[in-house]
Amino acid sequence: MPEGAEVVREIVERYERDDGMLIPMMQDLQAEFGHLPPDRLRDLAFCLEIPLTRIYGVATFYSSFRLAPKGQHEVTLCVGTVCHLKGAGEISEAICREFDVEAGGTTPDRLFSFQPVNCVGACALAPVMIVDGKYYDGVTPASALEILQGLPAEGEESQSEDES
Amino acid sequence: MTARKRKRLKTAADLKKLRRKIEGERDSEAKCVRVCVGTGCAAKGANRIYEQFLQAAEESSSVKVETKCTGCHGFCERGPIVVVDPGGILYVGVEEADVEEIWRETVLGDRVVKRLLYTDPSTEQVCRTAEEIPFYKSQQRIVLAGNGVLDPTRIEDYIAAGGYSALAGAVESMKPEDVLNEVERSGLRGRGGGGFPTARKWRSCRDARGRIKYVICNGDEGDPGAFMDRSIMEGNPHCVIEGMIIGAYAIGAKQGYIYVRNEYPLAVTHLTKAVAQAREYGLLGDRILGSKHSFDIRINRGGGAFVCGESTALMASLEGRVGEPRAKYVHTVESGLRERPTDLNNVETWANIPAIIKNGGDWFASVGTENSKGTKVFSLVGKVTNTGLVEVPMGMTLRRIVEEIGGGVRGGKAFKAVQTGGPSGGCIPAEHLDTPVDFDELTRLGSMMGSGGMIVMDEDTCMVNIAQYFIRFLKDESCGKCTPCREGLAQMLDIFDRITRGEGKAGDIDTLTELGALLEGAALCALGKTAAYPVLSTIRYFRDEYEKHIEEQRCPAKVCRGLFIYEINADACKACGICKKNCPVDAIVGEKKQPHSIVQEKCTKCGTCFDKCPFDAVIKV
Amino acid sequence: MPKVKIDGKTVSVRKGQTILDAAKKAGVWIPTLCHHPALSSPATCRICLVELDRGGWQQLVTSCNYPVRRDITVSVSSEKAVNARRGVMELLLARAPDSAELKELAARMGVEGTRYPTVTESQRNCILCGLCTRVCEEVIGKAAIGFAGRGADRAVAAPFRQASDDCIGCGACAVVCPVGTIQVRLHEDTGEIEISPFKSRSKMLVCEGCGKRMVTEPIAAEMLSRTTKVDWEQFRKRAGLCSECRRKITAETLALVAAPGIDD
Repeated sequence: MPEGAEVVREIVERYERDDGMLIPMMQDLQAEFGHLPPDRLRDLAFCLEIPLTRIYGVATFYSSFRLAPKGQHEVTLCVGTVCHLKGAGEISEAICREFDVEAGGTTPDRLFSFQPVNCVGACALAPVMIVDGKYYDGVTPASALEILQGLPAEGEESQSEDES
Repeated sequence: MTARKRKRLKTAADLKKLRRKIEGERDSEAKCVRVCVGTGCAAKGANRIYEQFLQAAEESSSVKVETKCTGCHGFCERGPIVVVDPGGILYVGVEEADVEEIWRETVLGDRVVKRLLYTDPSTEQVCRTAEEIPFYKSQQRIVLAGNGVLDPTRIEDYIAAGGYSALAGAVESMKPEDVLNEVERSGLRGRGGGGFPTARKWRSCRDARGRIKYVICNGDEGDPGAFMDRSIMEGNPHCVIEGMIIGAYAIGAKQGYIYVRNEYPLAVTHLTKAVAQAREYGLLGDRILGSKHSFDIRINRGGGAFVCGESTALMASLEGRVGEPRAKYVHTVESGLRERPTDLNNVETWANIPAIIKNGGDWFASVGTENSKGTKVFSLVGKVTNTGLVEVPMGMTLRRIVEEIGGGVRGGKAFKAVQTGGPSGGCIPAEHLDTPVDFDELTRLGSMMGSGGMIVMDEDTCMVNIAQYFIRFLKDESCGKCTPCREGLAQMLDIFDRITRGEGKAGDIDTLTELGALLEGAALCALGKTAAYPVLSTIRYFRDEYEKHIEEQRCPAKVCRGLFIYEINADACKACGICKKNCPVDAIVGEKKQPHSIVQEKCTKCGTCFDKCPFDAVIKV
Repeated sequence: MPKVKIDGKTVSVRKGQTILDAAKKAGVWIPTLCHHPALSSPATCRICLVELDRGGWQQLVTSCNYPVRRDITVSVSSEKAVNARRGVMELLLARAPDSAELKELAARMGVEGTRYPTVTESQRNCILCGLCTRVCEEVIGKAAIGFAGRGADRAVAAPFRQASDDCIGCGACAVVCPVGTIQVRLHEDTGEIEISPFKSRSKMLVCEGCGKRMVTEPIAAEMLSRTTKVDWEQFRKRAGLCSECRRKITAETLALVAAPGIDD
């Protein structure tokens, strides 16, 4: 049996196959994998003999459940009024195009999650991009891409020398 | 600290013997350091402080000092809090660097470290103990009695303080009917928001058909600004557990659940430990203390949904489903969890039970008002000087709570309103501050007691913005099952977004009022029905603010961006040029050494100049 | 048997029947959307609200699931009940602006239009009544679609919002949809039916006798899996035929049986 399915089996046994404990089971599953992989949810439906739609419904109802893994890095782009005036829209488009990521989503290689937000309250720094809590001010499409291209993937050293 | 071996207590007499044994092991004159590690103090480093004291105690060979971590005292504004016994010397705002001095001076030397004592800002009086501090003086702590005193991770602390003696008395010398009568005499009403008479609920559940019954503790405290239940679950989990065992005895239930919000990991940890320790002593399990009553508790975590605070949604969640409420035409006491008779009560309600059984219903009923007996724990937060948890007898006026205990509005600003009841409640303006805190009084004012959140607002609060905040919150948390809540809240938010952008239309207030009435009548669950109360109460008491937003596109409190302007006060301006340099749209003009001014047509009202001016010369108009 | 006094008329119902049952018996019309006699009644749409006399105060309750357990008095046409239903309909019209069926019901209720803009877009023209999910789970037994998300972002979808593995293409969801949003379309070129908006496609079996499209492959497979003692030779022969052609074979067989000696 593939390893992932075995983990699911174990969790189901831990709660004595009681489907009333579905939410704690899914919490344990998420703790194990960092998110809820679709295949593991299929395994869960199979083990508990309940419809997958019910599990999917629960996974998308409660805020603590994540169906997609978050990226290693968290990128926030302010799209408030002033940043917007200063070209945040073009920056957002450039990021989405270059890294094949949607607003609110994660890049395919899971390098970073991208979240545009409405005003971080730092309008003097506009346009503002925040990477892992670090503020970058006055970014342009070009400089934003450069910063993101320099993000270290897991295990790598930071490639970016420019600590703007 | 040697690990204690816990043996099952077979009778009530065994419990008494155990208590005497624990008391005998303790030296009432021995020194003890109590460090609060509730979430508020923990955020400021209390755990490190505790560790330091622990280490000092271990290293001290000459003097025997007990160190204890405790739950929340309530005075969160002044944490971290450390208390030294004997004497109850209370220190506020303790830092790691202070540990050494406290140890040397107070613990070993019996001297007080004056600078760490609380000084009353109005009287300048220096207070040595909690009893001297105005924040505590007016409080009456029944539910929170153990907080700050007991170590929540050691059941022996609870037992030594008299814990589980109410349970022993109940199963040994009371019939279930006697327990019910006692709770009925107390007049206890639900503390979760509904205010339903607890004994009546228990009785209905007991009388319902069915051999298998459940009791549930609702620990899904979701109101923003409320943390009463968290502090009780973290700081004294046993009073909740004991309450549930007694309640189950009265009702005839053998299985209980504590449903804790996912965002309260410390509460889950402490409750889990407490349940395990209670089991070891046989206080949970089969034939408790030699009686015929068997009962056990399972702890479940929520998944992250405010709606699960609603009883039927909570039960759906316990059944492994989405947290959707259902109609209550058949009450949950008849058909609840898994369609069995279920009694659900709030954390604070359960926490009151041991005291009621121990001291009698009449004792409880001697506190409070005609229709609201006992005390209530409130989380006093917002623009008030002393924020934290307070427990007061029902009937105390809002004014006393805000001014005497809370120390009034901070920064000398004018009081505007106090919001009670969370997203289901309303804002109460200054003219009603002398209203006693009472279920029916607060409802009469268009608000409600709710779970106990009490948010103080001042002159800088925009009441339209506050209503918008609550609607946005409720819309995000709506389960989406029924049309009025799901669609109605989305429509209301759309209207608020327009109003706060300066695009309000004549008739908007009427539409909001009509939608509010529609929600109240047509929504499926209590959360939906009360969702519009913050809107309706702010329209009732602050209609003029709405009108100014809509008719004049102006926000009188100067909060809603775009609905007020920034100007430079020429008298205060020192022409330093910082504002001009930082303005992202070059809207500020001014020659060297001349007062600067803002060109309103260019200004995007971002507020940068306001933030940057070192002389506070930029003002909101 | 408890009595229900409804808009002046009095009827008796069995204990546990609903106010809606009583209304039907009394000939009083109450609009419904998410209610279906064959399915459970979660009362999500709220369009069937009526006023219940509580002796001192009036309570708005949903008639489709309020169980009658003692004598009650109900008002369908009171101002409060009428306004509540109209308010709900206005919100629904904003939610599902293109549904002809909804507009028809609105007209019957005396609601001309809605003052509200369309602000929720999680699933256009879906009123989230849940009938499709319930018929799929409770009657068909497949639970191929369900609710996903929460609040205004709620939508009916198959797991992971992909085409369902469990859908058998029976179209029951389209049949029960009260606003005409769920549609079954036939793709001539691929011989598939598609159920929108769920993107669910199923190949249709074609009659081996006459070439007519008869049933979806998953349904046929489902039926095949449920049969027990069968003459498999005959069964396989007939399984590939539409009901017309099957009837022809049966008639031929019966003719053979009924007229013995024809082969002598």
